[in-house]
Amino acid sequence: VESVTADHRFGQRDGSDQNFDYMFKLLIIGNSSVGKTSFLFRYADDSFSNSFVSTVGIDFKVKTVYRNDKRVKLQIWDTAGQERYRTITTAYYRGAMGFILMYDITNEESFNAVQDWATQIKTYSWDNAQVILVGNKCDMDDERVIPSEKGKHLADQLGFEYYEASAKENINVRQVFERLVDIICVKMSERVDTDPSIVSGAKTTRLTDKPAQLPQNCC
Amino acid sequence: MFDACQVFCGATNQAKVCWAKMVQTMETINVSLLTDSERELILNVLHRDEELRRLEEQRVKRLKTELLEIRRKGAKRSSGNYSERSCGRCQEPLGRLGSRTNQCPACKHQVCQNCRSVRPNRSWVCSVCAKEADLKKSTGDWFYDQRVNRFSTTPGHDIVRASLRKRPPMKKRETVGEVLLNSTELNSSQTLPVPRPRLKDLAQTNRVPSNEQLQRSDTDSERTSLSSSRADTHSLHSTPSLQRKGEVVNKSSPAGSAVSVTASAPSKTHSPSGSTSGTETSSLIHHINPCSENFNDVDGLFKKSVRRVHKLSDFKPSSVTDVRKDSTDVTTSSMGDRSKSVPGLNVDEEEEEEDIDSLVSMHRKTVGRSTTSLRSSRSTLGSMTSVYSEGGDYDTVDVTGEIVFSLHYDEAAQSLSVMVKECCGLAYADAAKKKCNPYVKSYLLPDKSRQSKKKTAIKSKTVNPNYNETLKYSITRSQLMTRILQLSVWHYDRFGRNAFLGEVEVPLDCHDIDSAHEECVALKGKATNSLAPSAFAQYKGELVISLKYISEKKTPAEKSRGKKAKIDNGGELHVLIKEAKNLSAMKAGGTSDSFVKGYLLPSKGKSNKKKTQVVKKTVNPHYDHTFVYKELSLEQLKGMCLELTVWDREAMSSNDFLGGVRLSSGAVRLKENKHEWVADSTEEEVSLWQKMMQFPDSWAEGTLQLRSSMGKGM
Repeated sequence: VESVTADHRFGQRDGSDQNFDYMFKLLIIGNSSVGKTSFLFRYADDSFSNSFVSTVGIDFKVKTVYRNDKRVKLQIWDTAGQERYRTITTAYYRGAMGFILMYDITNEESFNAVQDWATQIKTYSWDNAQVILVGNKCDMDDERVIPSEKGKHLADQLGFEYYEASAKENINVRQVFERLVDIICVKMSERVDTDPSIVSGAKTTRLTDKPAQLPQNCC
Repeated sequence: MFDACQVFCGATNQAKVCWAKMVQTMETINVSLLTDSERELILNVLHRDEELRRLEEQRVKRLKTELLEIRRKGAKRSSGNYSERSCGRCQEPLGRLGSRTNQCPACKHQVCQNCRSVRPNRSWVCSVCAKEADLKKSTGDWFYDQRVNRFSTTPGHDIVRASLRKRPPMKKRETVGEVLLNSTELNSSQTLPVPRPRLKDLAQTNRVPSNEQLQRSDTDSERTSLSSSRADTHSLHSTPSLQRKGEVVNKSSPAGSAVSVTASAPSKTHSPSGSTSGTETSSLIHHINPCSENFNDVDGLFKKSVRRVHKLSDFKPSSVTDVRKDSTDVTTSSMGDRSKSVPGLNVDEEEEEEDIDSLVSMHRKTVGRSTTSLRSSRSTLGSMTSVYSEGGDYDTVDVTGEIVFSLHYDEAAQSLSVMVKECCGLAYADAAKKKCNPYVKSYLLPDKSRQSKKKTAIKSKTVNPNYNETLKYSITRSQLMTRILQLSVWHYDRFGRNAFLGEVEVPLDCHDIDSAHEECVALKGKATNSLAPSAFAQYKGELVISLKYISEKKTPAEKSRGKKAKIDNGGELHVLIKEAKNLSAMKAGGTSDSFVKGYLLPSKGKSNKKKTQVVKKTVNPHYDHTFVYKELSLEQLKGMCLELTVWDREAMSSNDFLGGVRLSSGAVRLKENKHEWVADSTEEEVSLWQKMMQFPDSWAEGTLQLRSSMGKGM
């Protein structure tokens, strides 16, 4: 718990850094104890603790990454997996540009719940939100109950990208976040760059005259 | 795609009567299971998040200001004479190449080589359009705007905050019925977000509004109306007779405006509609005087259907801001709804992309449950207030058609001309009888005053009216940049209710107001008014009062025994109105001439209404006035509700509502005339009221946040 408060201060400091190009909001969801908080701590602070502290409701950390020549500030929301906080956590789905949907490869129940979580995303998130499915604790191969093919298959079904990762051994943690940033960037470019009309305010008003003849009608 | 419908979820109907129903409820989260420490933790997180958002908000604002500068510098103005062959950006002469090759595909300006920027897909746009595209990325608007509904972007933190603010029902003194009601509601809200695999298919196809989706949009609209409720009541303003009507109507509208109860000042009997007694139960139409302005938009007075799935009847809009530790926080309280406080670049554009018709119909399915916005304007002579009150039922009015208008700002005259040319394809107000006598009304929001209101003539029996009328506003350009032009179309009905036919809102900060080119814009359903700069509007100031219950003074012995209220049939309630702080300024010079009005409800007769004197020219008035209510027992007080409302005195027209408080022992069910409503007192209000009852013969003092609406919940 102490590390949490200390980290809040850190988060605060980092959070006030205004030197970035984009700001993305990400959300980590999944059953209780699959390792969401650990995953975030590993990524944001490069720390790991074996002890389990259940997240109360919601929490977040801020980290700035450098991707594609851009500084991207990430506000990463860590959510409680416990059912009792569900109403609070789902409230944060809207506004999240990216989701990390996590299960524990040693816990079948957490895998079986992925479908439900995906439904929640579809229900509560905004369009254009990107999702990556992560099977955490891949370091514990001895206790594995979900083969990675199964995870991959489900991800394909759901249309998500898929990673196996380990917060403990720091496997694929950074990769997951960076990949998520990348696919959000792609989506963003899709939205903004490919359709010139979205760029300008011209779409607000449909001209009765031919637009080409009214060069003044801009911006 | 589904999200698109939410643009309309917050949409409201318009009504031109002086009752208004404010948001009583919004989706709140069941936090009753949380322990205090958990709550503390979460609030902590919220505070951090708020700080982050505040910074982000500043950054976005800065970026947008930059763009605005560039845009203004570059674009050709209609006032100037430009050569066809000059660059639309730098004004340098263009080469001899064909105009096609020089045209920016986005804005259609002729642009020289230097003023171009190549996009990743190797096409190019002009430098300003490129900057705009970049801005969409850096502000996140590319994501947030596609929500279409710029009003329902209220993210989770607001809800969570609001929920935390709400006391768990257990602590409330409630009637058994209330407790039961609340607990069932809590249960339903609790089950809502649990994953429902069976809905998966529906949810994925997304076009089909599943239950869950409908609920979602529903709750969004509630949230929307929450923000609107915080936003606009500073101009709330009322007329007594109509308020009386409001009360009457309240039977069908679960939450009539409390204004209706609190505002029958004798000074305002100049209402052309005359005074009507509260006993009339017939429809409003009977009360409407055709020559009064009220007449115009009455069709907004739809019945409000309460189909809300998990409403919590005691949510208080004002309480959302209460979480913050001090008043300065109020500026940040709207941060959640980023598009509200930051001028959007082109907030409307994505709406265009959606199929408006389907959106409207989607909207209609959900809007019935949406709540209210409260708008008003200063009355004109013979034309009373326009309080836009949304009942939420659009069934009778199909918003269709377009409005054609042009804007031109005359620099020399410092005036904006709004040329309303025509509308086409309007909906019939009464489809069966093919009734439609449309006129167009305009406001420069957020100003909803008389000065801001302009109307065209009424065109009879047409859905394609030609107006060719120019509505002029005298206003400086810089002022104009903060305004939103609202054009609404109304059906005028001599004998019935006026009907809202649609509206458009044009944020002027990023709109071309120089070229006077004609624009044809599709009409939309009633949007909530959150677009108006509302950061400060929701904070209405505070009221400092002291309450004392004086138990019956027959014998000293009884008095001392009366501590715990055994014999107090003839007691008195003393309400000392000490002062108000930080009231909204309604008069020039940033002041108000305010007074406080008090009602003890349910009303027992004319002696009920009390008023303080008017304290002039200050937003921090000291009243030091005591209202005395006699012959009351503590038992009675438990089931009563004291409403104190602060008003800005207007000599020549109706007074302006500045805020109010509602003291009661919790969710008390009150019966007035024929309608019933539930007092929605906030925690502070309840605790002060209870303190008063708990300690008779001693003053219970408290500083209460003024609520921006006195709407009543059912």
